[in-house]
Amino acid sequence: MKMMKTLLTAATFLSASAVGSFAENLTLGELHPVTGPASFYGLVMSQTLKLRAEQTNEKGGLDVGGTKYTLSIATGDDQAQATKGVAALRKLMTDDVHFIFGPLASAVAPAVKPIIDKQTDLLQIIDGSIADGVVNGKNSFRVQASADTYNNAVLNYLTENKVKSVAVMTDRSHQGFVMSEKRMGESIEKAGVKVTGLEHFQIGDTDFSAQLTNLRASMPDALVLRGYPGEGALITKQAEALGFKGQIVWEMGAPPSTVMKNIPSAQMDGVTNCIPRMMADYVRLNVPNALKLQEEFKKKYGEDPGENASFSNDAFWILTTAMQKAGSIKAPDVAKALTEMKVTDVPNLIIQYQPYENGLLFKDGQANPPSACQVWKGESWQNPPGDKIEMTTKN
Amino acid sequence: MLELLPQQLVNGLALGSSYALIALGLTLVFGVLQIPNFPHGELYMLGASFTYVLVAYGMNFWVAVPIASLAVVIVGILLDQVGYRRIDTGGNLSLMISALAMSTVLQQVATLIWGAEPHTTLSPLPGVLRTAYFSIGYYQMLIFAATIACWLFVWVVLHRSRLGLAIRAMSQNKMAAQLMGIDLIWIRIATFAIGALIGGFAGSLLGASFPIYPTMGLNPVLKAFVILVIGGVGNLWGAIVGGFVLGILEILVSAYISSQLQDIGTFAVLVIVLIVRPNGLFGRAEVLR
Repeated sequence: MKMMKTLLTAATFLSASAVGSFAENLTLGELHPVTGPASFYGLVMSQTLKLRAEQTNEKGGLDVGGTKYTLSIATGDDQAQATKGVAALRKLMTDDVHFIFGPLASAVAPAVKPIIDKQTDLLQIIDGSIADGVVNGKNSFRVQASADTYNNAVLNYLTENKVKSVAVMTDRSHQGFVMSEKRMGESIEKAGVKVTGLEHFQIGDTDFSAQLTNLRASMPDALVLRGYPGEGALITKQAEALGFKGQIVWEMGAPPSTVMKNIPSAQMDGVTNCIPRMMADYVRLNVPNALKLQEEFKKKYGEDPGENASFSNDAFWILTTAMQKAGSIKAPDVAKALTEMKVTDVPNLIIQYQPYENGLLFKDGQANPPSACQVWKGESWQNPPGDKIEMTTKN
Repeated sequence: MLELLPQQLVNGLALGSSYALIALGLTLVFGVLQIPNFPHGELYMLGASFTYVLVAYGMNFWVAVPIASLAVVIVGILLDQVGYRRIDTGGNLSLMISALAMSTVLQQVATLIWGAEPHTTLSPLPGVLRTAYFSIGYYQMLIFAATIACWLFVWVVLHRSRLGLAIRAMSQNKMAAQLMGIDLIWIRIATFAIGALIGGFAGSLLGASFPIYPTMGLNPVLKAFVILVIGGVGNLWGAIVGGFVLGILEILVSAYISSQLQDIGTFAVLVIVLIVRPNGLFGRAEVLR
């Protein structure tokens, strides 16, 4: 009888342990345009998140406070449109999702902000949008750069290359660029560079001759284009046709594959792009985690990861590391861990974030990715000679 | 700023010629058959896409243009037979809904085949003519010439051929035309074929200037409807003049008022024309007896 009792106790204990070893499910949401005209940005971001979740599950799941979680990614396809973004977010919330990656589009981020601000059990990590005022540092954080970081990259280029005058064309449908246009103009003037003209266009436009004729007549040394690569390519082509001889400076995420679908590569030669460093940049600079993601992405999807893959990769590792540090999957606990997180705390980061005071990754919810300029040569962007990067993360 | 006026007018003519080329086929179909052919934008897109595919397979651009345009004629005829002919008696609302549906179907099919990302065909005529007053690309000059040539072609067909006589008869009074022995079905097919041919030809040519993607026809077809209202529905000369007026107007608003008001200027003129001349600049008032 005593033997039976011992066996029964052992069996009960073993079965309890076995139940404990089954991982619980944790769904992480994402708001990205996986269809529609901006899908060339968004699809890669979604694929990167799914790749990282799969890899985590293959290693037994995410260990948070001794509990193993099997991760899944729920996709909200916002098609880069505000109304669709709001609908997709509400659907994710209805499905009991408490963590959101994204959005990418600067039209979507301000639209979902009021909803996110009101939710105490929801946490957002923005990996794409650069719109102003969408990060609160309480339950919304951003690994993508702010619009000012984009603008400063251009400003640095203008001052370092002693450009005396500049004309600027901005996509008026790009919230991030429109909101920061006035500040950027003031910064340029303050740096001693004359702004000879400001013009606008919008996504989907195909004729820019009126604006370019005016800007060319103001004879700037450089023409800065702020928007998306489709229009950037057309403007570059039309500026050349209208006889513009100055330096053309882009300020936009522009994967070479997308650029070359809009303009013959020879016409791009010498165009400079000043933005936060992106995936291809880190690969060219041989950052180990970037090379690793490139290899894994190519193995799974058969192609190179796009420019924004680095932001989604980092958003994934930052969020999951914060969960582990918090020992909890409750949004407020994870948010607290994020505010205390240091750049060196997170493994597998690709972007070499500039740490804030005390090595912190975020200040008021905003991370600080470095920026640089690349020059188009042949069929892709090239780092200028001597370009190097200061490594700030574990690689 | 006035020293830039010659260049801005040339910019306007270049833009207007692309608008007029697209509007020409639309006004023919709308004028004769009274069908608001929204998928005309998709026929334009297919012309560009077919040319892109042929050129990608190594065909010479100038050979690809007529082949792609003829392929669009087949799509255009099918579009009419499947989408419009059977519901022709159902009234304007049915035709409009069917037109919108056909437009969406063609866009979706194109997305499935070629994807949503843009593509480009290299310009077959690079180079720019530079004068003391203005610059214009040789290819833009070619498009201008093609627009005038298309107008002449349609004018000759309509006014110097038996087919044209029959088309004009049908557009004036279907019943009377039928009583005169005109085969309405064939005339309808011919009208649609000519409209699609011009739409496809426009896409083939303009695809070498602009990115090619499934929804590339949406904006141009909206502008083409505005041109129809400005020029007068069914009036070929009105489509040409309306296209140039719209192109020049957009450029001047953008250049001399604000590039943020370009579209507002366009639609303001549309409203003014509707108030002052409801039948368009070249349209004739109808008298109901």
